[in-house]
Amino acid sequence: MKNPYIPYLVEILDAWYEAPGDRCIKTFKVTFADPAVWDVWSHRPGQCAMVGIPGVGESMFCVSSSPTEQGYLRFSIMKTGRNTSALHELEAGDRFYVRGPYGNTFPLDEWKGKNIVTIGGGIGQAPLRPVIQYIRDNRDDYGELTVIYGARTSADHCFKQEFEEMNACGDVCCHLSIDVEEEGWPHFVGFVPQLLLEAEPKPDNAIAVTCGPPIMIKFVLQNLEKLGFQPEQVYTTLENRMKCGIGKCGRCNAGPLYVCKDGPVFSYAQLKQVPEAFA
Amino acid sequence: MVDQAKLREVAREVISREDVRLLIGYRPGTYGFRARPAFVESAEQVEELVFTPACVSNLASYLVLEEKPPLPRGAEPDNRKVAVMVKGCDSRALVQQMVEKAYERDHLVVLGIPCSGVVDMARVEARFPGVLSAGSIIREGDDFVLSFDGKTEKVPAAELLADKCKRCRYPTPLVSDIMLDDEVERFAEDDFSDIAELEGKSVEEKWAYWAEKFSRCIRCYSCRNVCPMCYCEDCILDRLKPVWMRRSVDISENTAFHISRAYHLAGRCIQCGECARVCPVDIPLMELNRKFYKDVEELYDYEPGLSTEATPLLSTFSVEDREDFIL
Amino acid sequence: MADKILKKDKAAEALKELSKFRLFAPAKSDDVVLFRQIEDPAEACLDYANSTVPPKKVVFPQTETLFRFKLGNPELREKNVEEEGTTVIFGLRPCDARAMSIVDNLFSWDYEDPYYLKRRELTTLVGMACVTPPSVNCFCASVGGEPFGTENLDLLLVDMGEEYLVKVLTDKGGKLAETIGSFMENAPEGAAAKAEELAGAAREALSRSIDTSGIEAKLPALWDSPLWKEVSAACLGCGICTYLCPTCHCFDIQDEVEDAEGRRCRMWDSCMFREYTLHASGHNPRPTRKERTRNRISHKYSYFPGKFGVIACVGCGRCVNLCPVNIDILEILGKVVEA
Repeated sequence: MKNPYIPYLVEILDAWYEAPGDRCIKTFKVTFADPAVWDVWSHRPGQCAMVGIPGVGESMFCVSSSPTEQGYLRFSIMKTGRNTSALHELEAGDRFYVRGPYGNTFPLDEWKGKNIVTIGGGIGQAPLRPVIQYIRDNRDDYGELTVIYGARTSADHCFKQEFEEMNACGDVCCHLSIDVEEEGWPHFVGFVPQLLLEAEPKPDNAIAVTCGPPIMIKFVLQNLEKLGFQPEQVYTTLENRMKCGIGKCGRCNAGPLYVCKDGPVFSYAQLKQVPEAFA
Repeated sequence: MVDQAKLREVAREVISREDVRLLIGYRPGTYGFRARPAFVESAEQVEELVFTPACVSNLASYLVLEEKPPLPRGAEPDNRKVAVMVKGCDSRALVQQMVEKAYERDHLVVLGIPCSGVVDMARVEARFPGVLSAGSIIREGDDFVLSFDGKTEKVPAAELLADKCKRCRYPTPLVSDIMLDDEVERFAEDDFSDIAELEGKSVEEKWAYWAEKFSRCIRCYSCRNVCPMCYCEDCILDRLKPVWMRRSVDISENTAFHISRAYHLAGRCIQCGECARVCPVDIPLMELNRKFYKDVEELYDYEPGLSTEATPLLSTFSVEDREDFIL
Repeated sequence: MADKILKKDKAAEALKELSKFRLFAPAKSDDVVLFRQIEDPAEACLDYANSTVPPKKVVFPQTETLFRFKLGNPELREKNVEEEGTTVIFGLRPCDARAMSIVDNLFSWDYEDPYYLKRRELTTLVGMACVTPPSVNCFCASVGGEPFGTENLDLLLVDMGEEYLVKVLTDKGGKLAETIGSFMENAPEGAAAKAEELAGAAREALSRSIDTSGIEAKLPALWDSPLWKEVSAACLGCGICTYLCPTCHCFDIQDEVEDAEGRRCRMWDSCMFREYTLHASGHNPRPTRKERTRNRISHKYSYFPGKFGVIACVGCGRCVNLCPVNIDILEILGKVVEA
């Protein structure tokens, strides 16, 4: 059996900034330096990977590309600490290391035939992106796809070009927002939970998935309840500090759940039983 | 020895005051001869309070240990006073914390306990092993009287006293609002003879000595956490950006840790001995701290923790300061 | 293999023979007993109570290299545990041996941890029965162990006064017994019965206990109980209770670089430390010692049993003996039972 602590070397095919600022977000499109790794690597939307540079460290990020996008993996990474700052220094042609995929996945097979609503805030769109992409690549298997997304400013919006495409193609219902009024902004102004009420998705035969800052999730969950969504219809992801990613090092637990193994994907019904999930 | 009824009466009055939110004292431990810190928030809890020679903890540490997580929106911080029981040595920690402006004098209600010495619990438990039911230790003249399992044993105090007490210069608290007993005369002198052997060692011998001690360190940080003077909000040990001290446990990092701590305590350590008491692998940390203490006293005629009017040693400069040790 | 007898005056020779392996035995450093790699049998201290630091550190070192690398070179050189060779832990207490079988669950769950499992495979455990409880705070019998427990041991020694009765428990133990066979003789009739008697007396001598039935289910219900603030008020937030716990297994991973040479290594970490759960954003889901204490107890007595069917505590009493402020897990569990 392969030593799970030894990461795979990846090469950056392309890298670009999604959002500017102190906590800027950069997307890396990578492939394995050894193409044979593709034979053993298989991830599903929602899964994560440990991304790092020997000598600096490793951190857990969701894989922000769908398995239907073949030949590369994407990671969208916000600059917050030592490791992410070092990763942000890297450009196309540079290399870093990845191990995984880890954790559970969004139950996309169970969701077949249902209407899907994603509600994202800021960098929280990263784990939702593979869900959206997967559904778009298997469009006939799913009902309506509603994408609700907001960030502080228009510049902070991740995946801008993809939203433009989605808006243009007509098979996705997009709702976008920014927190504060900006000149020329044609969409909603306000916080994501309000945007959700504005978009008013119907709970019938629907699944809602939300990722974003904890405070946003808190109010999104309340508003989904107002809209008639049952806890079983609502999914989110948790994140905690992680070191091993494989259920050994101990720290990522929320109550009895190891976020790295039992998560990161949880239904709201599941999390309602775990007070520490919202700590 | 402090009258226990009086101690509880005073505690009751203090915790009943509207401007006091918490009283930190001692209560019997969960087994044998142990006593432990007590956190009293209402008058009903004072009945469990005690002060005996088993009350080894320096409660001043708790004044700087409290974590203050962000308050819920709209909630007001509780800024009422904290009352704390202190022995002579412990009181010096309060003084030094105030010298360093950790908090204002007004923040505290100090219950002073003139102290004729506490036991070294390890010595007590080695002498009377396996005692589970509550035992008591009281001081009677030159003896400790220990009662347990229906028996009473008298032991000369010197055999069970904590080492720090045998050379205590300040048995009566140096700061207090309410003194719980009559002043205790200084009963010992401190001539630092305990570290003479260490001082006499060559550099190589010193290294061999400390290498053996530090190699045992498991970096549990109990010495740092128990220390009333180790209260930086962001300790360099915990920083990972940059890494000042690696988290790997080996002789090199362990040594860096203990030396850094000793230097940070130079002119600040008030000799309560808690670091050495709590160390699970018996590293004699007070030997380091006492060497620094002695040097500071000789070089600068300075003892920390004596007066709230003092200025911190290392933030003052005088042209008369000796500098012959600078290479 | 039948029971053997190792006379105490032959013990040094037997240890000498065993020191051809990587041999760990209890040894004194000043007044502290620790498991150390020993080459000279005279270093070993077999009439000890229990070691301050549990022997888990032999199979789960406090700091260990996962792999090495050179900056600028993509090659990662995996640490080869096999090279450490056959290892013997001599004279460990039954509770500490049992603790390893509990921790095995974690390191073999789902992803197998190659470092830990390889070391376990290389290591033979030679236990020393507790003829008298090593400490007043021992409570092994309350959590599924016993003073003469054989779980996970390869050999068990029983101190019979002038000699040790040696019980061979596994094939691995049998092989090790063979290497010191010339120092032992067959146990006389009645030795086993005498050992049984001693075992009974040792069990009787355990003075502390707790009824653990129901605690696993009860802990989640006590999430918001005021008891957590009460029992954690005195906590200093140090790592003694976790580092000295034979079942605690949490670790941190750090990279270290010296010039161009680097390694990724792991080291024990403690859920009682603030940084343990601190997010890069500054948010901490367990912001105070109250939440950390609740997690420590819940993990041992609820989460771990929920996942692996066994309490992650062997009742060795170290956390009680050595807590600087007398935080007592039995008192906490008692409050949980009463609540």
